[in-house]
Amino acid sequence: MKQKSITLISIGALFLAGAFMPLLLKQYHLNMLTEIIIFALFAVSYNLLLGYAGLLSFGHAMFFGLGAFTTAVAIIHIPGLALWNAILIGIVTTVVAGFVIGGLLLRHKGSYFALLTLAFNALFYAVATKWHSVTGGDDGLSITRPSLDLGFTSISLASLTNFYYLTLVIIGAAIVFCWYFTQTAMGKTVLLMRENEERMKFLGYNTNISRLILFTFSGAVAGLAGSFYTLHFQFVSISAISVDMTTAVLLMAFVGGTKTFWGPILGALVYIILQNYLSNITDRWPLFMGFIFVFMVLFIPGGLSEVIMNIRQRFFGRKDNNGGKSAVTEEVQS
Amino acid sequence: MSDIPVFFLHGLAYAGLLFLVSAGLTLVFGMMNVLNFAHAAMYMLGAYFSYSIMMHFTGQLWLSLLICPVILFIIGALIERFLLRRVHKFGHVQELLLTFGLAYIITELVKWYWGNYPLAVNVGGFLGSTIPIVGITYPVYRIFIFLCAIFVGVVMALILYKTRLGIILRAAVNDSEMVNTLGVNVPLVFMGVFAFGAALSGFAGVIAGPLLSTFPGMAQEILIDAFVVIVVGGFGSLGGAVVASLLIGQLQSFGVLLFPKLSVALVYLLMAVVLIIKPSGLFGEEQ
Repeated sequence: MKQKSITLISIGALFLAGAFMPLLLKQYHLNMLTEIIIFALFAVSYNLLLGYAGLLSFGHAMFFGLGAFTTAVAIIHIPGLALWNAILIGIVTTVVAGFVIGGLLLRHKGSYFALLTLAFNALFYAVATKWHSVTGGDDGLSITRPSLDLGFTSISLASLTNFYYLTLVIIGAAIVFCWYFTQTAMGKTVLLMRENEERMKFLGYNTNISRLILFTFSGAVAGLAGSFYTLHFQFVSISAISVDMTTAVLLMAFVGGTKTFWGPILGALVYIILQNYLSNITDRWPLFMGFIFVFMVLFIPGGLSEVIMNIRQRFFGRKDNNGGKSAVTEEVQS
Repeated sequence: MSDIPVFFLHGLAYAGLLFLVSAGLTLVFGMMNVLNFAHAAMYMLGAYFSYSIMMHFTGQLWLSLLICPVILFIIGALIERFLLRRVHKFGHVQELLLTFGLAYIITELVKWYWGNYPLAVNVGGFLGSTIPIVGITYPVYRIFIFLCAIFVGVVMALILYKTRLGIILRAAVNDSEMVNTLGVNVPLVFMGVFAFGAALSGFAGVIAGPLLSTFPGMAQEILIDAFVVIVVGGFGSLGGAVVASLLIGQLQSFGVLLFPKLSVALVYLLMAVVLIIKPSGLFGEEQ
């Protein structure tokens, strides 16, 4: 219980800090922060699969890209479409896609699942590239952000500060909801399934349905992140649905650490900051990211969050239930 | 209608290339239970090494065919010995992540050294010429690819099913501990298998160079097709890889002829159909 109230206080503090950021940061950095928040949600959704369910997907960008493209296409083709509906259409599409693809792919596990997700991502990419009349092909789609309609008043989102606040509230809430999801019975089921699926089946859980729900949920959350990606850049290109985007989210989640809920958020922060600064210094920054990634796979499989947990344990002597190795497992026990 | 033999031969040539790539992939997966995402990246390395060799030695393809597999064999052995073996104990996810990361690094290194644009490789001499076949003139090189694939397939089958080494390999798949106890150095065998897979990918890369253009995206392109071959044929099945390669080669080739707009999706469609009807693949064992 104590652990939970600490988490709630930190969530509140983060929102409060976020609310003051537009006063402290320059336009360029506020832009970056918006991007970080959006990608943090994307990485969190990815980690629901990788960290919590132990499903290694190489196709998460298909949901992100699908959300991004559907929102863009909806805004372009339906004049006067409200912002909420544009986002909603994006989410609904990804829910349907997640359900169908999950039903097809989740029959397989491990390497086979990884391979199939990559192949499906490639299918989505191929369709996005070839379906020029809808997706714009290599040229991508440009949109203008609709203004935010609150019923009694309408707020223009043309300024970055306004859009930043919208992102902070909506995406922030979505991240909190994902955290809440991991605390529910459903979230715990997924964890236990990863640890011992046979036993869960024996206890009467339909593990296939649980996995499908998780996969669809994670896809829908990625779709929401994709919608905001479109709204943020007011542009979407096929790179949003490419395997490179999957690689990016994989790097974020893994570098941040898949064994904690907040690891991927940290990962998104580090990734985007590194990307911004390294790409100023050198064109070869993906190479550096690649080396960092392989180094971490070999030596720090728990990512940055593992490093932080170890340091915290060493200096403050806080004992985790199982030696600070896996906070995800710890949550189950508490 | 006179196009049909041409497209059929095109399909055979691409099937040959697909088999060369997916044979190594499926061999490593079948033996070591490691899905090597870096396989296609190594294939690309083979193509680029071949380009550089042919630049220095005025278009001697046979030289590339000899040297590149050896280089890739060494690279593969080093990767297995010093990287893959380290993460083996952490399980599947870690192995996949490692090979994925390696593929990423290799692609970036290739972009760095050779540049992010297509390079043309031309074969001269008899291989670069055309011959009359079934009433049409057809490039010798494409027929050569198909013959190479047959050669590699036959050699692999002979090694696996007719030699002592093959018996050890197949036994190691079933029970590596027992084989180890019987005095076979299983880690060395696995290193050899991985290195052989890498050499095969390098060989395929050399072959692919003159057929397709050599560019940094070539790895991802062939990787997806090779994955589809494995899904359709069945995981770890050499015979399945043969049949699926032929099927997808023809599908690619005639797809362009019959449904030009749908051609990209056809291969995936086949994969989806197989997944629905027989999830373990045409020749795969039920899981």
